[in-house]
Amino acid sequence: MAGTKEEPVFHREKSPDDGPQSPTMLPWDRFSNWLYCACVVTFDLELGQAMELIYPSHVKLTDAEKANICYLSFPDSNSDLDFAASILGCMGDTQFNFRIRQSPGRKPGNKSFISINKELPVSIQGDNAHYCGFVYFRQTKDKSIRRGYFQKSVVLISRFPFVALFSELISILAPEYFDNGEPSLEAACHDIDQWPAPCSGETVNLPIFGTVLQVRIPSRSDKVLLGQVTNKSPVVPMIPAHVILPSLCEVDIFSGFQSILPHIQMMWELVLTGEPLVAMAASPSVTSSTVQALISLISPLKYCSDYRPYFTIHDSEFKEYTTKTQAPPSVILGVTNPFFAKTLQHWPHIIRIGEMMTQTPKGFNKLKKASSLKTLDSKPGVYTRYKPFLNKDKAILKRLIKNAILRRYFLEITQSFIIPLERYMASLMPLQRNISPHKSPPVLRPFDIEEFLKTVEHSGPQLTSGIKGDWQGLYQRFFRSSNFEGWYKFRQHEVNQKLQVLHLEAICEANLLDWIQDKQEVEIVDLILRIREKLTFATNNNLVVNMENVNKLQKHLQGIISSLPEDLQSVLKS
Amino acid sequence: MSIREVKVCLLGESGVGKSSIVMRFVTDSFKPALESTIGASFMSKKIAVDDQHYAFQIWDTAGQEKYRSLAPMYYRGAAAAIVVYDVSRDSTFKTVKDWINELKKNASHNIILAIAGNKCDLEDLREVSKRDAEEYASLINAIFIETSALNAVNVPELFMKIARSLPKEDMYSPRATSTLNLRHTQSKPKSGCCGGQSSPS
Repeated sequence: MAGTKEEPVFHREKSPDDGPQSPTMLPWDRFSNWLYCACVVTFDLELGQAMELIYPSHVKLTDAEKANICYLSFPDSNSDLDFAASILGCMGDTQFNFRIRQSPGRKPGNKSFISINKELPVSIQGDNAHYCGFVYFRQTKDKSIRRGYFQKSVVLISRFPFVALFSELISILAPEYFDNGEPSLEAACHDIDQWPAPCSGETVNLPIFGTVLQVRIPSRSDKVLLGQVTNKSPVVPMIPAHVILPSLCEVDIFSGFQSILPHIQMMWELVLTGEPLVAMAASPSVTSSTVQALISLISPLKYCSDYRPYFTIHDSEFKEYTTKTQAPPSVILGVTNPFFAKTLQHWPHIIRIGEMMTQTPKGFNKLKKASSLKTLDSKPGVYTRYKPFLNKDKAILKRLIKNAILRRYFLEITQSFIIPLERYMASLMPLQRNISPHKSPPVLRPFDIEEFLKTVEHSGPQLTSGIKGDWQGLYQRFFRSSNFEGWYKFRQHEVNQKLQVLHLEAICEANLLDWIQDKQEVEIVDLILRIREKLTFATNNNLVVNMENVNKLQKHLQGIISSLPEDLQSVLKS
Repeated sequence: MSIREVKVCLLGESGVGKSSIVMRFVTDSFKPALESTIGASFMSKKIAVDDQHYAFQIWDTAGQEKYRSLAPMYYRGAAAAIVVYDVSRDSTFKTVKDWINELKKNASHNIILAIAGNKCDLEDLREVSKRDAEEYASLINAIFIETSALNAVNVPELFMKIARSLPKEDMYSPRATSTLNLRHTQSKPKSGCCGGQSSPS
């Protein structure tokens, strides 16, 4: 009977149109280029927040990770009474994001994760120690449930901080899940498993639920010039998309700061120098957009300390971050629980943000002493004793402020701040003529703070920025922060890699067989070891090393070894 | 030359050959035992018909019952819907009528409907006569064609027919106004943490 024909299940071979892939591509490989998993968190009358579903089902989360995800996917409270209050604040749909530590002992990302990361700008690289969570929480009255409310969250977990994309994605995915249940989550994850990898510099088409999201993946080689961002390749959409996302990661800093705009330049200093900062607000969507806006203020610099767009009293790091026995850690926290007003009273800088829509009360822009903040009922404002190093640019606040203007403004100050650092870094480079095939590669001179500060006197940020003030003092603060450490380590790594490549090229071009003619065996063995070292470097850095040069090196090596006496040859080969 | 973008959605019972039709159209190939689709698959293909270029965005939905409620996401905003049945299984033709009723009720008014009787190579096992299907199609003003993804019969023709049926008035209007939304206008929850303006350029 034709009607009983069943379709046998085979592993489907994707068509070439499916995008770049290797023949070893397995189901979920492409999914994991973007996301770690999707979860559904529900409220259980017996257990409280509980993980209802993890998709794909083979994904493993540790108990600690699960507990953190569960608590961070719901409004925070320290009592049932508060819970009821915070619930009233979050009726309907609420969207926010969080960040958690991965449990120790997790394997670092796979090969494809590493190769994606290599090309991404540092500030949006995936993280091997943290997960980002993107939450869509729905709460509606439901008399059929004993508690009287339907409460559930759909959460996307990723190693990548693609805030704009994943916020958009969860806003498409979650409502469908609430309407249609598990098959829609399955369908969405399957859609994502067809996405091309996030390759830097490319505009990717991301089909999801009947629409196509289109977004450009920023590249490390995008030239960030003063006041303008130029893309390497113009956007030529292959498919006219239904939804074009203006950016993968950018958040709207204007709405993030609406109520504390007069202090925004001070915020930039606090974030740049890695000061402990806490943002308090009534809703996790406000805290998370504020914290994301804060860390993006110093772009293209990467914010290197920990940050938590939404942090609760149940968080694994609660004790570590709130202890009074040590100075507050260099982190940025977003909190909603009134309990934090007391717990974090000793913190040097507290941002209290009111409801975004309400009129800001008069005098809100006055700085207040942190100790005067006793409860969350306190007025919106910035509670700090911090004296900014730079003078306030009042002109920017008088202009009609829009997100684009603000973003450009901070890109300009950050660039003005970075340029002298980059210039000094370049002066630490050894000269090209010091690279010899017969010596070890030259090294970068160490960063000397005093020497750098002297250069600031005559060629500091004042050349590119109109802002006056104590730039040197600001640099000194910055040097103590992990943002400097992160920047320096990355630049150092880049420069050393470049030196290794130049050295490798010098060895390739040298006539080594001539050179060894009059050399002692010891020197020749030294040379062999150096070439081997270079080959190891080449295998570990295959993206920056030309294959042709690797072949040349291997030829050199064979030639030199075969010129040696046989007994030594066999020793070297073993 | 401008390219006209056409979102197309394939619907129909499990196992009638929706994915095979798409595979034949997009890569001109056939696999005898495709694994059943989860949710939906997305593919795109450009063709030229009568000097006009078309970029088909094809959403190939899963036929299994459990995904049935997801279908509106895929036919929402589609320029055309292809409802597929298997000429050798009468029950699949009955399902066509359910789909057509649902589309008439929920899809946009000017959606182009197409009915494709697939597996027309199985003449010996035929349960749905061509004439019955043709009559039904003309009754509801739908495109009708019999196809064989296996033998490469009438597959590009199906999509060409759709291209020729697209309303003419849309043809020369700027693409940006007809299909391209620069900003997502869908209502959002009260978060302020996504989207945002692009960098100054």
